[in-house]
Amino acid sequence: MDIKIDNKICKVEYGEYLLQVARRNNIYIPTLCHSDALPGQASCRICIVEVIENDSSKVVTSCVYPITKEIEVITNSEKINNMRRTLLMLLSMRVPNHEALSRLMVKYSVPAINRFGIDMNEKCILCGLCVKACEEVGQYAISTVNRGITKKVSTPYQEPSVSCIGCGACASVCPTGAIDIFEKESKRFIWNKTFELMQCTRCEEYFITKEQLDYMNERLGYETEVLLCEKCKKNVVSESFKNIVQNL
Amino acid sequence: MMHKYPKEQRYTLAILQDIQRKYGYISKESMEKLSVYLDIPISRIYSMATFYKALSLQPKGQNIIKVCDGTACHIRSSIAIIEEIEKLLHIKPGETTMDGLFSIETVNCLGSCAIAPVMVINETYYGKVTPILLREILKGYGGTIDEDR
Repeated sequence: MDIKIDNKICKVEYGEYLLQVARRNNIYIPTLCHSDALPGQASCRICIVEVIENDSSKVVTSCVYPITKEIEVITNSEKINNMRRTLLMLLSMRVPNHEALSRLMVKYSVPAINRFGIDMNEKCILCGLCVKACEEVGQYAISTVNRGITKKVSTPYQEPSVSCIGCGACASVCPTGAIDIFEKESKRFIWNKTFELMQCTRCEEYFITKEQLDYMNERLGYETEVLLCEKCKKNVVSESFKNIVQNL
Repeated sequence: MMHKYPKEQRYTLAILQDIQRKYGYISKESMEKLSVYLDIPISRIYSMATFYKALSLQPKGQNIIKVCDGTACHIRSSIAIIEEIEKLLHIKPGETTMDGLFSIETVNCLGSCAIAPVMVINETYYGKVTPILLREILKGYGGTIDEDR
């Protein structure tokens, strides 16, 4: 099936998401809350595009719009840009000091407005990606709490969560770096909880929490013999691959 | 109490409402028990309990005063009623008196705009409330009121 995005013909499979197709064809659509690993959030709304079918047009969020027909898509019409401008303006009112957002504001020339009370330290856009990441990991340590203007992401009672394993998946998917995670020597601090980190047996870098390792082993069903960090694991694999090739 | 409901996620809210009705609030212990019973994470239950205004995490007073601050009541100076209660009972909306007798809440409409400003104590409606009337009503519930005011 073929669809037309900004006058470019693109090949698509039935049911593929519009954003996915656009990205594959190097067509730029801005996003904040989209993660390839955890798709379907659709809360930041800035990936909106115009879809034209049967002579009528509608605005859809491209990250969750499945293609079922041969449609025409416009990603940067005046209408879309105006709507994006409003969305960016509102997002920037919530998260005033954010690099990627500021860049988008400049790109779409969003006017500065100061009629709202702004919390200059706020970084969270409440997209919910972190909550989803925690659910995917299988820990359910965090969730959205309260509603309306007091809504936030937190552990129950803001207490250190029993189920948190300190994996940092929430912080790594966060588009705005809103989750406080920091490491000092052999300790990692996240969600009011302190974790002891374990060392890579090769480069001696601290990289994983005890809880995370135990959970991984439990899921895998066997114990990892040598504890290696991501980097060393790659090196070891590539070295052994090199040896095999040389010995051929 | 929760055992009369099947162990299904969809009964979470119904059970939480029952707990709220019986104990006046949702305690941490009850959330933990519910989490085990329904096999859903405590973070989900906490999220739900903080989302709905009808559910409270703090113990509520014996008598719950709901003052309407919807459009009609607001125009008919419900703010003055709220301020008067604050003065008389020394608590703000969302709080409970030290003796555990009263809690105040503001609500958005009680559907009785014709008798605005409206106040509900437990299940009893009071219409066209004035600060003077308010003292009488609160006394009826055994409220200790600063008479010198």
